[in-house]
Amino acid sequence: MSVAFEEAAGGRRRSVAPALVGPATILVVLVLVLPMAILFRYSLNQFVPGQFMVEAVTIANYVRFFTDIYYINVLWTTVQVAIACTVISLVLAFPVAYFLARTTSRFKSILVILAVFPLMVGNVVRAAGWMVVLGNDGVVNAVLRWIGLVEEPVKLLYTPTAVIIGIIAVVLPYMILTLQSVLEGIDYSVEEAALNLGAKPSTTFFRIVLPLAMPGVVAGTVLVFILCMNAYATPVLLGGPQFKMMAPALYDQIARSTNWPFGAALAFVLMATTLTLTIVSTTVMQRRMRR
Amino acid sequence: MSEFERTTGMRLTRRGFLAGTGAAALAAGLPMPALAKGQVIVGTWGGDYQALLTANFEKPILEKKGIEVIHDISGAPPRKTKLLAERVSRRGTMDVACLSDIDMFEMSKQNLFDNVDPTKVPNAKNIFKQLAKPYAIPHIYSGKVLVYNPNKMSPTSFADFLDPKYKGRIGFADGLYMQIIESAALVNGGSMSNYEPGKATLTELKKFEPKVFPSNETLAAALKSEEVWATVMWRARGFMWKKAGIPLATIAPKEGTTPIIFDAAVPKNAQNKDNGWAYLDAMLDPGGQVLFADRMGYVPTVNNAKLPDDLAKEIGFTEAEQEKFNIPNYEYIAANNAALLEWWNKSFKA
Amino acid sequence: MSQVSLRRLAKRFGSFTAVDDVDLDVREGELVALLGPSGCGKTTTLRMIAGFIAASGGRILIGDQDVTDLPPYRRNTGMVFQGYALFPHMTVNQNVAFGLEMRKVPRAEIGPRVAEALRLVQLDHLGERMPRQLSGGQQQRVALARALVIRPEVFLLDEPLSNLDAKLRLTVRVEIRQLQQALGLTTVFVTHDQEEALTLADRLVVMSQGKVQQIGTPTELYERPANHFVADFIGRSNFLAGTVSAPGRFRSRGGLDIAFADDGAGPRGEGVLAIRPEKASLEAGTDAGTGANRFPGTVVFVTYLGAATEVRVRLASGEEVTVTRHNATPLDDPRHAAGDLAPGNPVTVVWPPAAGLLLAPPPA
Repeated sequence: MSVAFEEAAGGRRRSVAPALVGPATILVVLVLVLPMAILFRYSLNQFVPGQFMVEAVTIANYVRFFTDIYYINVLWTTVQVAIACTVISLVLAFPVAYFLARTTSRFKSILVILAVFPLMVGNVVRAAGWMVVLGNDGVVNAVLRWIGLVEEPVKLLYTPTAVIIGIIAVVLPYMILTLQSVLEGIDYSVEEAALNLGAKPSTTFFRIVLPLAMPGVVAGTVLVFILCMNAYATPVLLGGPQFKMMAPALYDQIARSTNWPFGAALAFVLMATTLTLTIVSTTVMQRRMRR
Repeated sequence: MSEFERTTGMRLTRRGFLAGTGAAALAAGLPMPALAKGQVIVGTWGGDYQALLTANFEKPILEKKGIEVIHDISGAPPRKTKLLAERVSRRGTMDVACLSDIDMFEMSKQNLFDNVDPTKVPNAKNIFKQLAKPYAIPHIYSGKVLVYNPNKMSPTSFADFLDPKYKGRIGFADGLYMQIIESAALVNGGSMSNYEPGKATLTELKKFEPKVFPSNETLAAALKSEEVWATVMWRARGFMWKKAGIPLATIAPKEGTTPIIFDAAVPKNAQNKDNGWAYLDAMLDPGGQVLFADRMGYVPTVNNAKLPDDLAKEIGFTEAEQEKFNIPNYEYIAANNAALLEWWNKSFKA
Repeated sequence: MSQVSLRRLAKRFGSFTAVDDVDLDVREGELVALLGPSGCGKTTTLRMIAGFIAASGGRILIGDQDVTDLPPYRRNTGMVFQGYALFPHMTVNQNVAFGLEMRKVPRAEIGPRVAEALRLVQLDHLGERMPRQLSGGQQQRVALARALVIRPEVFLLDEPLSNLDAKLRLTVRVEIRQLQQALGLTTVFVTHDQEEALTLADRLVVMSQGKVQQIGTPTELYERPANHFVADFIGRSNFLAGTVSAPGRFRSRGGLDIAFADDGAGPRGEGVLAIRPEKASLEAGTDAGTGANRFPGTVVFVTYLGAATEVRVRLASGEEVTVTRHNATPLDDPRHAAGDLAPGNPVTVVWPPAAGLLLAPPPA
């Protein structure tokens, strides 16, 4: 009886699935895959100054990238900044997410909204805010001088540190929300059981909470890492003209040099790097989780 | 009604006539003509530029014609990218594209624009001949000068920036890389067809730690705080900054001034071409051009716009200066832009 | 194993008092059940013993050590949680070994002790399973093994049977009791199920609104409830409100004149007389007969329960009482209750004076 029923249900599901999946697949192909394919095709074209883009099939743009130490350095800077921002935001977000997940305060929803609040302001506006805070005449320097710690303003704006601070401020809410949703799902009594069995709070965190929160850590890390790798407005505004990450370099090629083929190649290198690092780190983290 | 009177009172008779018909229609108790001439989408810069377009051309001229203006606001690079991206499409999203002369030339090479039709743009006959081009109308212009803090220094040439006294005091806007390389080339034996010598000048200048700012606005802030003392900039910008209270003076350098023209054109795939031409015609309206000059410091491009003498002295260029104008070689720039930007990013800024 | 003592233990959340000056001594090897309706403070009391909740007042002693201010991981208690709280990312073996690792037990010793603990709960063959691969009953046993393997000074159980189905609950109940007695575990057990408490516990603590109502053996609680709440909560009772008219005489509001065994301890004046339904009996008809406490009435409702039949009778005074008759005789025996127990039948309810227990009236 039950087998027959399940088969019937399965059969019905099979017949409905294509109808549901079909339009979605077409939409994904149209919206995501097709533009990527076009962009990839562009990356194989040739750039002739003054003539814009000349049809060709050449890997010259990729060769140029990998043989030019400048662009290798731009990619390396991007990876370093992205990793730093991801790790720091993970460390900063975890206690906040844990608190939000565990608090029974009636202000909880307000606190969650506060955590999400920065997302309601655009990246550019937030970067502008950081410029006011970090500039030579900014809030930080004003305070430092007022306390008498420094006499000349400390250069904070247009430094890699400023970019890292700015990006972390952008991605932190994503990390907090991702971790919080997973931490909410961890039964608090499991932590109590560990304490009861003699585990100190720190041991409880590393042996129980962290492994159980691993899906959230992986999801949050991947999400934030991708956001960091593709950061544009923050590095441009807070890093200053001397500081280059991949997205601004890509923009330079497409919009300022009108070199679409090389810009497209940069886009693919960025995507491939992001994808590779994401897959590698996810695999490593999941293997550690299963341990 | 008062709006009509105010604008007609100070504007040309042609608009007086237009206003008159509107008033007559009202007086006759008829409903205002629906004026459904559609819209025009103008790809332009935001801020003051757009505000002045609205105040001086759109409201007084186009609105009366029943044309609704929609602004597609962005910087020049995204607009160029959009024009290129849409070039294969029959339905473009811009009816008017505003770009600098250099960018406009680069885009015109891709055969993106219709040639200006003098019958659809009657005001085109007043354009100064040396600014005219077939594929666009020059809207306003200015020239590249040295902008400096007169309390600190008084340069007469870009070469004067190469001085240990000004270590860390020279600032550049990242977006003007081409103009800066050109300036540096001209003081080192370069020409409008050869910017290469500029690289040596700038490499030399790097010893004195010039600062590069991500935007004109951040450069202005640094000039205001006297963090930097001098830059290369359009005289119009220098004029605006001075009006904003920044201690600045401008000078046309010995090696000559390069004019910058802000053009407007109608893309081939525009959906409202007639309105686009009407918009271009409005941009050449002498009254509006004078107000533009007063507010933004850009010089009119039409011979029937007359600036007050003191304003002309502040933002315009003398006969002698005009004779020393270095006219850009657009072909050279288009062919070398990518390489020069690459050098700027990789060698100069690094 | 050690004894556990609570001295005027209290917990206040703002103006709300969850646990109100509880005094309790759990003797070594004794199983004490904390029993009461939800919100009575029994779980809060248990969690204070475990150290998950800080006491607002009073002391907690385990053995001769005052643990009131110690964090949970410095108290040697073994707790079984309502939802078992197994570590989902660890195998059964790892779950059981966890507490030993925390105690820095030598690695060589951990394996045998884990195996022994699992053997004790008959799960030694499932050590490599993950918790999600186990049934509810098996998870329960893992939780027991995990709490016992560390040889806690006191064993704490928080409604450990409530997630099991009814049949399994009876089996596990017995197993827990056997384990507890075999190992001589000092145990505090929280439940809202009085049958569970009565069958398992050496002594019960009945709580209501944060206060201890009565502490005693199951017999004491059932036979000599200290107050109306306990008499009502443990088992079932007929309550007749009225006044003590003379020593040993109680006059109900409906006008019944009832003899009861008056030891002088009960209240004078207003009171409530509690009579357990199985301590009263029924006689057919309404013959006056002789002897104390014979009250004629009419059957209102009959509930056949298998082992017993419950009969609701409306007395001539208008008051209603419930009488339980054990179906001790075969159905064809003339003494079997079924025949004369149809609603509307006239009956006489009889109970000995010793069956009536005089209590103070419940607070309004």
